[in-house]
Amino acid sequence: MIDEEILQTTNTYLTFQLGDERFAVNVRNLLNILELIPITKVPKSQEFLKGVINLRGSVLGVIDIKIKFNFPVTEYTKETCILVLQVLMEDDLTEVAAIVDSVHDVLEVDEKEILPPLSVGIKFKSEFVTGVIKFNDKFVMVLDMDKMFSPDQLMEIQEDIATDA
Amino acid sequence: MDSFQKKFIEEATDLINNLEEAVLNLEKNSTNNELIAEVFRIMHSLKGGGGMFGFDDISNFTHNLETIYDEVRNGKLKVTDDLLSITFSSVDHLRSLLDPDALKNKQIKKNNDILLGRVDSVLKSADSSETTQIEEQIEEQDKNTQQTIYIYFAPNESIMDNGTNPLYLIDELCSLGASIVFPRTSKVPMLSRFNSSKCYTAWEVFLVTEEHINSIHDVFIFVEDESELEISKIADFDTLSNEKFNKNIHSLYSEKNHFDPTVIKSLIDEVIEERKSKVVNVNEKLKIFTKENVISSIRVSSDKIDQLMNLVSELVTTQASLSLYVEENQVHALNQLSENIENITRQLRDTAFSISLIPIETMLTRFHRLIRDLSSEFSKNIDFITEGAETELDKTLIQGLTDPLMHIIRNSVDHGIEPEEDRIKSGKTPQGMIYLKAFYSGANVVIKIQDDGRGIDIDRVRQKAIEKELISSEAKYSDKEILDLVFIPGFSTAQKVTDVSGRGVGMDVVKRKIDEIRGTVDLESKENVGTTITIKLPLTLSIIDGLLVVIGDTKYVLPLNLVEKIYAYEHNEFENAFNNIIIVDGEQIPFYYLRDEFNISGKPLNVEQLVLVKYEEKRIGLVVDSVIGEYQAVLKPLGKLYKNHEIISGATILGDGTIALVLDTNKIINELSFKN
Repeated sequence: MIDEEILQTTNTYLTFQLGDERFAVNVRNLLNILELIPITKVPKSQEFLKGVINLRGSVLGVIDIKIKFNFPVTEYTKETCILVLQVLMEDDLTEVAAIVDSVHDVLEVDEKEILPPLSVGIKFKSEFVTGVIKFNDKFVMVLDMDKMFSPDQLMEIQEDIATDA
Repeated sequence: MDSFQKKFIEEATDLINNLEEAVLNLEKNSTNNELIAEVFRIMHSLKGGGGMFGFDDISNFTHNLETIYDEVRNGKLKVTDDLLSITFSSVDHLRSLLDPDALKNKQIKKNNDILLGRVDSVLKSADSSETTQIEEQIEEQDKNTQQTIYIYFAPNESIMDNGTNPLYLIDELCSLGASIVFPRTSKVPMLSRFNSSKCYTAWEVFLVTEEHINSIHDVFIFVEDESELEISKIADFDTLSNEKFNKNIHSLYSEKNHFDPTVIKSLIDEVIEERKSKVVNVNEKLKIFTKENVISSIRVSSDKIDQLMNLVSELVTTQASLSLYVEENQVHALNQLSENIENITRQLRDTAFSISLIPIETMLTRFHRLIRDLSSEFSKNIDFITEGAETELDKTLIQGLTDPLMHIIRNSVDHGIEPEEDRIKSGKTPQGMIYLKAFYSGANVVIKIQDDGRGIDIDRVRQKAIEKELISSEAKYSDKEILDLVFIPGFSTAQKVTDVSGRGVGMDVVKRKIDEIRGTVDLESKENVGTTITIKLPLTLSIIDGLLVVIGDTKYVLPLNLVEKIYAYEHNEFENAFNNIIIVDGEQIPFYYLRDEFNISGKPLNVEQLVLVKYEEKRIGLVVDSVIGEYQAVLKPLGKLYKNHEIISGATILGDGTIALVLDTNKIINELSFKN
């Protein structure tokens, strides 16, 4: 469980690993971190939609951010985690789950320390990156989770399904 | 806006809906005092609540309207068409007044003033006719009932000579009803001159009777010639039951002379005055009575009900895991407990689900109103008949159903029912009919909307479909298939665009909305006979009886009401089947091999199960790995991520905590058959 105190501050970030890149998500979006539990596959859905999980009686959809970002697919390890996120989806707060390779530290970052996103040299879909944090001489990319589940993105999901079928 | 105001708006919305319903009923039965009292009561509550929570516009507006219905209640005004139409407009206007700033809108303000003017004019006309109305009402009450008759009977002295006993006549008179008899003995002589064979007494009788005045004359028919007789009606009601009148009559009697007609008249006038005020009293009592009578239900916010449903669902799931644990571990002591909990859970579940059910009736008022308004707008004569209004549906279903039903009914009024002349020409009754019937059918609720209008012109639909390049002109389609084309987006056969329908959004929207609540729509139409639209809905959105099956390493639930039979077949029979058709009990059944359709890798089992499901009028086989058994599935949404995923209608959590997916067999067969 995350302390309420932390939840209230908006400049706290959880960092996590996808492939060889490090990302961060604002903890205001984060509800829970789970170890990898069995995921029920939903047939005839897109590749990055991994299925659904049972979180204390609620059914949550799971996405694999790595696939969404076109990272090379790797096997899940015991480090693999599920982040339970609360995002704004079509004006409703919705819970979704996202698979990441592993989770790292929680950072306190002042807003002015966040640099604008790099526009070149990124090998994945960059439209969800809102900024960059410099940490231990490495760049950590801050993801905008609300944007990732925005109607535009869902439209894209729809189109993808249409082309699949 | 504070929470009290929000509460008031919620309550006022209900009140306005009730008002609309009451006025609609009043329209059919304009003399029903209870309905009038109800309309008055609702207006009174609106006025009071409005004033209390700062909705002065509502309060002011309702004030005059309430006054009208007060007059109606007191019989000073009659329910006229004009009054009803004012009331209907007022109901609509009240809805817009629920916005506290409504009167800042010029249009609403104008409307407000116009309506107030109309209300005033009704009130003025009431004042002028006041007195005659009330007398009419009193007369009405006593019509065919009692009247008071005054009889003066003074027989000749010699009347007893021919054997007549005048006392018998008085007795006979008294048998006709309640009476007071006053003997007049002023003519009785001194004892010395008294002749015992002569009659000196005269009688005055006040008789309250239902008999006609002629039957009183009949009593005296043999003695009329030998007596002084006066029979006159003095009042149209029972005066003797009035205490004051009785007392006055008795006190007047002390005089020796018989009653002065003018005095009696003035006494009766007094009684009439008193009765007038009594009518008001009776109404006052009625009001109190209805007030005490209404609290049979309580208001609960729908959030709380949703929360209760969620908790119950969770309990059902938890209970399932308990049963599973007990079964697996054979804990004897827990067996009985687990069974008891299962029992209680089931009852709790049923009760909780029934709370969220509301009768269809709640949305019918709107349709009555709609048809009333539309029929006057299109000058069509339409009767709206409903059956099974008590049929209950989940509240979310009712919400989802209102718009599509509204649309269907509009279509019926606009396109379906013909104008009166046309109906007579084609040999129909001048009055058109729209018939709405709701009933339970298995785990479904069926709602049928039927009209006896001109029906759908199949040729026109065909032509239009060809025009819009939806079908080719050569292809042959059955009438049913042509009819189903109206559900395709953008299809609307209305040649003239009206306010009501024909805006290109038509039956496709209806279909989509019904789909959203997991229902189906079916259309039947016969030219000149009418159109029937059948909507089939699941009883509740949140629980279904299912068949639990396994495909690959995932469990699925198929809706049990669609499952017909299950057969076991060797795997190679499916593999060798030509064109996905297998012979079952001598019948050719098309089937879908779900392992392949769902792209599930791994080696299939040697023996697999063919589940026969109903699909439209056909039977289709779905091949699954194995069948576990029946399962009560608490349906949970898959969430927004999967909102475009049609073939899975939801998920359910099994006793061991794993998830089973609920398959929408109709959708999956649809999708697969389109693909092939």
